Amino acid sequence: MHASALHRRIRRFAVALLALVVATAAVGFHAGWRRAQERASRANRRALVGALGFADLALSSSVRWIRHPSQIEPNAARSDLPGALDVDPAGALIGPPEEP
Amino acid sequence: MSGGSMDAGGWRRQRALLEYALGTFRRRGRRNLSMIVGLTFVVALYASVLLLTESLRHEWRATLDATPDLVVQRMVAGRPALIDADETFGVTDEPGVREIAPRVWGYLFVEAIGGNVTVVASQDAETRWASSLASGRNLRPAGEVPEALVGEALADRLGVRAGDRLAIPDAAGELRVLEIAGVFDHDSAMHSADVLVTTLAVARTLLAVPEAQATDIALTLARSEEAPAVARRVREALPGARVIERSALVRTYELTFDGRAGLLAVVLLPCLAAFLLLCWDRLTGLGEMERREIGILKAIGWETRDVLTARLWESATIAVGGVWIGYLLAYGYVYLLGAPGLAGALFGWSALHPTLELTPAARLEHLASLAGLVVLPFLGVSLIPAWRAATLDPDEAMR
Repeated sequence: MHASALHRRIRRFAVALLALVVATAAVGFHAGWRRAQERASRANRRALVGALGFADLALSSSVRWIRHPSQIEPNAARSDLPGALDVDPAGALIGPPEEP
Repeated sequence: MSGGSMDAGGWRRQRALLEYALGTFRRRGRRNLSMIVGLTFVVALYASVLLLTESLRHEWRATLDATPDLVVQRMVAGRPALIDADETFGVTDEPGVREIAPRVWGYLFVEAIGGNVTVVASQDAETRWASSLASGRNLRPAGEVPEALVGEALADRLGVRAGDRLAIPDAAGELRVLEIAGVFDHDSAMHSADVLVTTLAVARTLLAVPEAQATDIALTLARSEEAPAVARRVREALPGARVIERSALVRTYELTFDGRAGLLAVVLLPCLAAFLLLCWDRLTGLGEMERREIGILKAIGWETRDVLTARLWESATIAVGGVWIGYLLAYGYVYLLGAPGLAGALFGWSALHPTLELTPAARLEHLASLAGLVVLPFLGVSLIPAWRAATLDPDEAMR
């Protein structure tokens, strides 16, 4: 009775472990599928970036230096609204570019 | 005794200790469950930041080398100003300079959607856009009505499709009618969500850029290594010009992403520290039952090492389980749900933003960093109190 209780614990542990392994395998499969999709579309995206002329990501169009941090003047966070502070939280992720 | 039988004996011993440790999940289920939930939450939060940042970095790196080697901006009063479109900086004789292209682009605030649209003049309408269009066709240079290609988010927000006509106010406030020739596809949304590509003449009208002037000038070189030398000649020809080298952008972006991701991680550290402190508090206050349990185990012949090994199994199960589940949840949150909340907080308010469909960029270093930040400290805070109790005299522990 006692031994079967112990084995039951191990079995439950093994089932939980297996569930995690299966979930991890599913994540790996999904990641592989997404990466294959990305590789397939990369040439097109590179052509688009080549035509646009900048690789900046369109994450936030509300402030110019965040929309095109590679192109727009440094320290321009305040230039969009006179006297305004850098109120956009995107400033937490993408800082003003450094002068080359 | 052979080495094999010793190994088998060691395995049986470890299995017995693991079984005992698993039993504690029944005896102290609520406490252990709350610690797994806490660990999962902290890890999921931290891993989400790591995954999101790494994927954005990947997205940017994948396309960076398609950009011009040099971009020249004229500076007036310390800010970019329009530049003569026929400016060649005296570098046309340089054999390494493949193309000098004046670019007309800029921002147009569209009141109807309450946001900025990035207007880009198409240099050559014929070939370069077709592969990125989800619907419609390339721009026609001289159609009856001026044409435009728009990003997916912009088309959605304006409620237009390929073939529709759109009246958009130019920089002078006059309405200009454009025909939507095509809409960029979903795959390119990270770059084109808020973009409106149109012919050079229309872009000039929309942005109020006079004839013979341009926003900046892009130089494409035969060999990127020549960029510093060409940049030097450009600066000599146009003193005060801002010359943006692609190699400098790489450094800037890497520093920016590293620095900002690090900053976010540091912001999350107090969360982790608070959790570990809570665990320490819970685990140092060994309950009477737990002390008695350790006392009984020692009285029936368990050694200190066995008690600690059983506790190690219990804590490792909690820590590894929490990190594992947390990382899987972070993956789902970032790559299946698009990081709602976190992305909004990071990217800021924006009228036009792409649907975040990032390429998974999970790395082994993430797990190593999580192990160092979470698993090891957690094992530390759980083993020290157990060691204290296990070294007590059994009689004292049971009393």
